[in-house]
Amino acid sequence: MNDWIITAGSAGVVLLMVGIAFALGFRDAAKLDGERIQHLAAAEGAEVEEALVGEDGAAALARLKGGQLLIVRAMGADVSTRVVPASSARLRLRAGRLSVTFGDLGYPSLDMPLKDAPPAWVAELTQGSLR
Amino acid sequence: MIEPAPPFEIPPIITFAVPAFVILIIAEMIYVRVTGKGRYETKDSATSLAMGLGNRVAGLLVGGVAVAAYYFVYQFRLFELGWTWPVMVACFFAEDLAYYWFHRLAHERRWFWASHVIHHSSQHYNLTTALRQTWTGVLGLSFIFWLPLVYIGFPPLMVLMFSAISLVYQFWIHTELVDRMGPLEWVMNTPSHHRVHHAINAKYLDANYAGVLIIWDRLFGTFVPEDKKEPPRYGIISQLGTFNPFRVAFHEWVGIARDVSGAKNLREVLGYTFGPPGWSPDGSRKTSRSIKQAWAARQAAAVPAE
Repeated sequence: MNDWIITAGSAGVVLLMVGIAFALGFRDAAKLDGERIQHLAAAEGAEVEEALVGEDGAAALARLKGGQLLIVRAMGADVSTRVVPASSARLRLRAGRLSVTFGDLGYPSLDMPLKDAPPAWVAELTQGSLR
Repeated sequence: MIEPAPPFEIPPIITFAVPAFVILIIAEMIYVRVTGKGRYETKDSATSLAMGLGNRVAGLLVGGVAVAAYYFVYQFRLFELGWTWPVMVACFFAEDLAYYWFHRLAHERRWFWASHVIHHSSQHYNLTTALRQTWTGVLGLSFIFWLPLVYIGFPPLMVLMFSAISLVYQFWIHTELVDRMGPLEWVMNTPSHHRVHHAINAKYLDANYAGVLIIWDRLFGTFVPEDKKEPPRYGIISQLGTFNPFRVAFHEWVGIARDVSGAKNLREVLGYTFGPPGWSPDGSRKTSRSIKQAWAARQAAAVPAE
């Protein structure tokens, strides 16, 4: 019982520390753009054919030469990427947002707000996903 | 099976250390904010701290399994080793050696990596990263690496005490704020050595598995010094795309299950489960070895031929 009380107290201390981190302003956010996407693709040994960055700059999708997809998400000031075959990703367009889903518990679906109508290559991929 | 009683009362070492952890984390946060040296991210720290809390809960729920295994094996001990100073000194070294091999296998075999990957899954390296601990260590049978110690005859409580001391020691080395530490670097695991261990730069992969003493890495050929010209980049090869603690805790286990369910034969089942992280039947995925080989090839190509 005593152990569980200490654990509950620890939870309170965790909240306190998170609050302090927040108050100190550790809330940087990476902004994605075309240049960064190209750089990230190059790091994977690939070249970007087309790229689409979400309106908020927090997520992006690129089609690489060779047909694979590069998926990029801002993780605070950092980024996390995945390169997947187009056939393994499910793309959906709904109400000005593009979602990209693929089977990786450590990388949940990407949900990108779009400023404009999606480019043709994305629309094409979306239709491909529906087949 | 009667375990010799320790000659002193063993305090709850980790519980006693927690207030110091909290004070040091807050001090590090303030130092980083004031000086701009080092990095913090609120969401990342929240995840790390939640993982630490979950590790404690998991310990309360299933930690008894590991302790029971220690006492079960202790029945068959080879020697009667009491709580004497020479035995305690020997146990300290033996525990640290056991930790080295646990840690090394936790990087080299996917079954153990599935639990340990959690600790490496932050792209940051600060004191909260130290608390980013697994929830599945006991279920993943990590404790088996310490069973030889109780089989030899070290009292289980003594082994548990030195394990706790090692864990507490390893807290403070998770920082970018401490540079090299002179002669200590020869013997002790230090922030510099452990930064290398957490780095994903090719030249730093699979190095510096030490717990308290770096001598084991020097002895077994896994020591790599920090290179000032190559600052460490932290995290894992496939960086996580989530701060959700549940996804962090179980993502690799689910990955194993998915791979195994698609395996075509026993070789693939064993490869996906006990092969190196990143193993695949056709070699299409990246492993530490393939990344290091590619890096070495690039280095060789960059050196002009004589």
